[in-house]
Amino acid sequence: MSAAVDSELTLKEEQEFLQHLSECKECKEEFEEAKKTKMIIRERIVQFKAPPSLIISIMRLTGISTKEPEETII
Amino acid sequence: MLFEPGRFQLMDKPDPNRQIKTRTKKESLSREERKKQLEFQNEAVVHLNSLYNYALHLTMNPDDAEDLVQETYLKAYRFFNSFERGTNCKAWLFKILKNNYINRFRKNSKEPGKVDYDLIKDFYHSIKDTRVDTSEAETDYFHSLLHEEVYQALQSLPEEFREVIQLCDIEGFTYEEIANMVESPIGTVRSRLYRGRKLLRAQLEGYAKKYGFKTSTDQ
Repeated sequence: MSAAVDSELTLKEEQEFLQHLSECKECKEEFEEAKKTKMIIRERIVQFKAPPSLIISIMRLTGISTKEPEETII
Repeated sequence: MLFEPGRFQLMDKPDPNRQIKTRTKKESLSREERKKQLEFQNEAVVHLNSLYNYALHLTMNPDDAEDLVQETYLKAYRFFNSFERGTNCKAWLFKILKNNYINRFRKNSKEPGKVDYDLIKDFYHSIKDTRVDTSEAETDYFHSLLHEEVYQALQSLPEEFREVIQLCDIEGFTYEEIANMVESPIGTVRSRLYRGRKLLRAQLEGYAKKYGFKTSTDQ
């Protein structure tokens, strides 16, 4: 089930899985719910920007002039 | 923590075990060194935001997260030659960060599994949201959930479940990459994802009910 949600099935496995879903209401519902759960995590978990102090120190590490960090990081 | 030049330079000392040409700072860098820097920027530094977010999730503390990311890049740069070209650099960096986290932070951390919700709340309000909220009018209960609630639900999961869900759903790693990072077989990753998502769903439905939305379990 997870592998199907994450597109980790082989082509053959996927065909079998879809075949099963067309016959099994329970699995189909669970599959839809699992997909929704994955989607909500992707959409609702916010991502933060690294603080400028961190960006600068990483830039220094790799020898980039700290005057122009935006160019390379974004 | 703000950047401290003294501290950083101390860490920047070349590894004594490695053959490295010593040179003063004023001397120009060799061509190979420049090439390495450029490659490192393109391959590794571009993942800075992802790494920082992963560190935040692990440490729940912006200062610790910053330290952890800095340490990770330092190590990654030093051992960049051992990075297998053509493989996923982000996965490689995440693995280094995870190892650093285990070595440095986990020992002194709070009781495992205990989540301080007030801390999470404060934390969320203290840092600016960089992702634009989609404001489409959805009647689906999932879309009514706030990131804070989803985050709390995620944090309430046992660590082994939370971790694989983060790596898979937020960071988009493959099962193989995740298995390598958490040092477990792919089958284990798969079943943790399955069970973790089930637990998460139950949590989210709890929120949805609170707001009077119908969920699949009511039908």
